[in-house]
Amino acid sequence: MKRWHWLALGFLTAASIVAEFIFLADYPKAHWWSYVPAFYILWGFVGCAGIIFISKWIGKLLLQKKEDYYDVL
Amino acid sequence: MSSEIMIPPVLYMIAGAILLPLMPKNIRSAVFIVFPLMALAVIWTFPDGYLLKTSFLGYELILCEVTRLTRIFGIIFALIAVIGGVYSFHIKETAQQCAALLYAGGALGVTFAGDYFTLFIFWELMAVASTYLVWAKRNSESEKAGMRYLLVHLMGGSLLLAGILIHVNQTGSTSITSLVPDGSISSWLVLAGVALNTAIPPLHAWLSDAYPKATVTGAVFLSAFTTKSAVLVLIKIFAGWEILIFFGVMMALYGVVYAVLANDIREILAYHIISQVGYMVAGVGIGTEMAINGTTAHAFSHILYKALLFMGAGVVLHTTGKSKLTELGGLAKAQPVTLWLYMIGAFSISGFPLFNGFISKSMVVSAAGEAHFHTAMLLLLLASVGTFLHTGLKLPYFTWWSEPKQNLTPAKPPKTMIAGMALAAFLCILFGVYPTLLYDYLPFVVNYKPYSLYHLTETVQILTFTFIAFWILRGKLAGEPLIALDTDWFYRRPARLVQKVFVDYVNAAFDYTDQIAVKITQMMVKIGRNPVSFFNDEEDGGDFDPNKHRSSLEFLMGLIIISFVIFAAVSLFFSE
Repeated sequence: MKRWHWLALGFLTAASIVAEFIFLADYPKAHWWSYVPAFYILWGFVGCAGIIFISKWIGKLLLQKKEDYYDVL
Repeated sequence: MSSEIMIPPVLYMIAGAILLPLMPKNIRSAVFIVFPLMALAVIWTFPDGYLLKTSFLGYELILCEVTRLTRIFGIIFALIAVIGGVYSFHIKETAQQCAALLYAGGALGVTFAGDYFTLFIFWELMAVASTYLVWAKRNSESEKAGMRYLLVHLMGGSLLLAGILIHVNQTGSTSITSLVPDGSISSWLVLAGVALNTAIPPLHAWLSDAYPKATVTGAVFLSAFTTKSAVLVLIKIFAGWEILIFFGVMMALYGVVYAVLANDIREILAYHIISQVGYMVAGVGIGTEMAINGTTAHAFSHILYKALLFMGAGVVLHTTGKSKLTELGGLAKAQPVTLWLYMIGAFSISGFPLFNGFISKSMVVSAAGEAHFHTAMLLLLLASVGTFLHTGLKLPYFTWWSEPKQNLTPAKPPKTMIAGMALAAFLCILFGVYPTLLYDYLPFVVNYKPYSLYHLTETVQILTFTFIAFWILRGKLAGEPLIALDTDWFYRRPARLVQKVFVDYVNAAFDYTDQIAVKITQMMVKIGRNPVSFFNDEEDGGDFDPNKHRSSLEFLMGLIIISFVIFAAVSLFFSE
């Protein structure tokens, strides 16, 4: 990742926050999570981390086996 | 116009499969593309409401029924067969080409079938033809996976047929109409049969088992037809069955979890078919006009971008012979065009603005929200985080960007493979930029505007922070040389045990009995030849010889005297 990549991501985030709190301030709140500020930032970050950790945990606990699992009894 | 008889599109494909082997070898790849193009042209010109009926054994068969819904599915099936034909132009194996034509034909047959019997025949044609695309890889892994795939699909077909027969028996009608969830066994059997082809867990494992083991070009066709034709049948019969919302959301997340664990790049993509079809199944369950439009649009988009993704993974496998993340890496410099065409597919599936996933996936998600299925909506948004994480980040990062695990020097892919990818990529962008090109052909009038500020803001926030979380945690996502058990465990693992108990042990028992029978026979033969030698305990008395084996006079006299003594003693004893 180069510096301009991070700058671009920062710009996108800033633009989305400006849009959310200024241009969409009066947008009808259709869902319970519409009341949580910057909810989709949280959902993206926590969701991604959650998917990684929970899946890996289930994998280690139950699902993952050696590649020759079905070839040997 | 509707009084004219028009040839059903499936017949063009079947004709293609028959005629192709008769063509000169060097033009077969070009001729392959002609048949789906003809089918596409015919579908395009079919008038809405066109019906082609015939009767068979007293039942009315509707071989071809054209509606706005079936037309859009027919168009995308024919179109992807054309694109697949371009991508597999280098293939010189006629059997594989014929199987692909029959498979696409089966999908078109299912699409336009207006009655259950016609549906069932093309349903089975798809199962058989597609199996060959797995077997054609010609290694022991694909041979076994193909057999499992075929058996599971035959079971699904049997469930469907059982449901159809009960339904026809109860109602007297063979025509495909929407059913209500009234608890009748026939509806649930039909649903189970269709759900198997839709890859709804726990009936999904055939997909993630077989698709990664199919041929490079076969997987492209496989990714398009089976699940999406089943989604169409779900729309026709089960729209509004709310149980499908649960299963749709569940499968959207199920695929995501397994894609974290998968090491094979085509397995990651296969699990994301399950995940993406989850959006469609949920859309069918919601059942509103917007949801059905969304499901249809998403099936259309999905076929394009998923074929593109499989084509990209196929190029990697074709040029390096590797498909596991633990063996790949660092290919970006050698394959920039493949990488960026793949990334167009990845941006599309992840729902980036200006790509076709954005204009279709959001429609299903919004339909869930509008119908007040808030939890479903939120979980579908979570699944889209997983989609970007795997297909857009994990797979390309560990295939093209990360440090190479071994020194790979990929061969140059055939230009036609790249051309096939470019064609699909162009369409992914075209429909993303001009959504009305698709929206105008959806089953219902579309009042949905995907490029709203709210939706763009939501998407930018989700995708940006998914990326940041990935970047921080990317070390955890590196491939591991392991497999993840799925529901195919239930027929794969016990298979070894069943083989031991019902085949190996039974064989051993038969062998043992056989040996004993042979031994007894040998002994009887020996005794039969000369019983005297057996009583005399001779090792080998040879055949009976009166001079050698006849009893001596002393023996006979002795026997008579002993008998006399015994009789005398007994008579004396009893006379008193």
